[in-house]
Amino acid sequence: MIDEHLLDDLALQNGLLEVDAKLKLAVGIGAILIGVFSPSPVAPLVIAASMAVCTIVFAGIPARVYAALLAIPVTFVSMSIIVILFMTGGGEPLWDVHVLGYTFTLTTDSANLAVLLLSRTLGGMCSLFFIALTTPMVDIFSVMNRLRLPDEFVDLSMLIYRNIFVLIGESIAIHNAQVMRNGYSTFRRSIDAFAMLAGMLFVRAWEKGEEMLVAMDARCYDGKFQMIEEERRISATGIATATGYLCACAGLAVLFRSFRIF
Amino acid sequence: MNNAIDLEHVVFSYPQGTLSLRGISFSIERGRKVALVGPNGAGKTTLLLMCNGILKPDSGRVLVNGEALSYTKQGLLDIRRRVGFVFQNSDNQIFAPTVFADVAFGPLNLGMEKEEIRTVVDEALFSVGMNGYERRPPHHLSGGEKKRVAIAGVLAMKPDILIFDEPTSSLDPASAAEIVDLLDELNAMGKTIIISTHDVMLAFEWADEVLLMSDGRILHHGPPREVFIDQDLIRQSRLTVPPVLEIFCELKARGILSGSPPSGVLELTHSIQQAAGTPENTRPGTIFVADAEQVSGTEISEWVSDHPGARVGAMGTSAKRLAEEEHIPLDFTYGVIDKCLLKVVLGQDTLIISSGGMIRRVCERVSEFSREHDLDIGVSPIP
Repeated sequence: MIDEHLLDDLALQNGLLEVDAKLKLAVGIGAILIGVFSPSPVAPLVIAASMAVCTIVFAGIPARVYAALLAIPVTFVSMSIIVILFMTGGGEPLWDVHVLGYTFTLTTDSANLAVLLLSRTLGGMCSLFFIALTTPMVDIFSVMNRLRLPDEFVDLSMLIYRNIFVLIGESIAIHNAQVMRNGYSTFRRSIDAFAMLAGMLFVRAWEKGEEMLVAMDARCYDGKFQMIEEERRISATGIATATGYLCACAGLAVLFRSFRIF
Repeated sequence: MNNAIDLEHVVFSYPQGTLSLRGISFSIERGRKVALVGPNGAGKTTLLLMCNGILKPDSGRVLVNGEALSYTKQGLLDIRRRVGFVFQNSDNQIFAPTVFADVAFGPLNLGMEKEEIRTVVDEALFSVGMNGYERRPPHHLSGGEKKRVAIAGVLAMKPDILIFDEPTSSLDPASAAEIVDLLDELNAMGKTIIISTHDVMLAFEWADEVLLMSDGRILHHGPPREVFIDQDLIRQSRLTVPPVLEIFCELKARGILSGSPPSGVLELTHSIQQAAGTPENTRPGTIFVADAEQVSGTEISEWVSDHPGARVGAMGTSAKRLAEEEHIPLDFTYGVIDKCLLKVVLGQDTLIISSGGMIRRVCERVSEFSREHDLDIGVSPIP
């Protein structure tokens, strides 16, 4: 259900498409910063919940897709949490585990750290998904343009964005061709096949680059490659809502700064 | 000088040393529709890339509008503005993240102002029927849509010569036919069009003249009927005879048909009918013509509901758009004139919705056909 076009497709059809990109970026980045700097898990968890609601309800992203996307960072963070729970110390011991004659102790400090880590990850990822699922890359480019980032940087990002999809298409085609001829049937063969795929992809990328240069020359390329985008007005309610939301999150972070679960 | 493109003794070999063009000379007049045909590896793409200065001949000259190409930076910019090139693979041509940015690329690099770019892009997208797609990324488009965007990107620079490398390859038949119809429309706007193709039917029916290439040489340059009737030439250049011509030749060999080869299904059908001696008891119908830019959509819809049996065809982007907006069901969207003539001969009335220079073309074609076959086919404008 997750393919290479999924995020892009969803972002282009989401319910908040017409909201100004600058506003969405400000909310997303602001929430990430507040979540990361918050000393207690309260603000990040509130951010995670509100961002998830916003993305699913207002932007209309299917909950199943959202859960599947969120499962990726959650898997990673759960693995780190297990390590942190038993490897860091301090505070009162809560629980002892005996494995193969060794004793692992879970303490209050390690539990608090694990909860904080989980909440910050969730808050950050939900904010990031909010940006990714409500703001198409194209809008981000025009924001970059307006923020006066160097033209070279913006041009390169635009070319990279376009070519990612071209290259993914190529790699899927090569991979299919390999699978159809038993390329990945054994471990050894998959290593060989994968090496071949990587090599071919490099060659194809090179060729595509040359072809693109010819195509650009054929259209009088003279060093200019920017976007001219229509101006969109940010509504006053939009600014007020965004500021209110960020202030509330920051307030929670300050208010509950010394809150601990254990 | 009335020639759009002249090549004089052009020789070219790739850096690896393979000789690709072995002395090519030909001239193409302005406003012509030219098809370049030949086997794989004949040098078709190389030849086309010569025409806008992407490749430079080892010896010989390339002239555009009577002037020899200058391979300086300014000279190349100028020539590439005047000679638009649409690549075979649209994915290579469309490199910007959105349709708008891609079509705006040429005008931007020509140094146009923001407002001017907006107008030019709007016009270009309108003329290929792709307005409304501005913000879409190219990887969300179908093959036919990508081809249209690629064409718009070239049109935005307002070239007077358009070169298409295999415009219909990898498109479904309906999309291919629509692209061909678009080529006709561009030609009616006065642009010289050169395409390379493997589709013999397309080259035979569409082109005014055919350039037959093989192994880096031009084997023949002339009207399609002349090229495709020559069996030896066809075999030598790994082509096949278009079905229409093949049927004609076989019927001629059996003594059923005589005369000169037909230029399409319409002529072939007509000469078979004459040979069969079926009395033409039906009076031919009338071809009604509506100018999409003059007649309102409601008037056309009313006409269509008043004439339930009539077949309706639309030529050109604005006509098709009008039909779509007014929910007028279309029977023909490509090869419209000939298809309508086929029905008219059967006694049915037809309506052709079109605009601009294409209307004149309808009248010319119909009167030519009536004259040749001694029929009385009326063309009447509506309302």
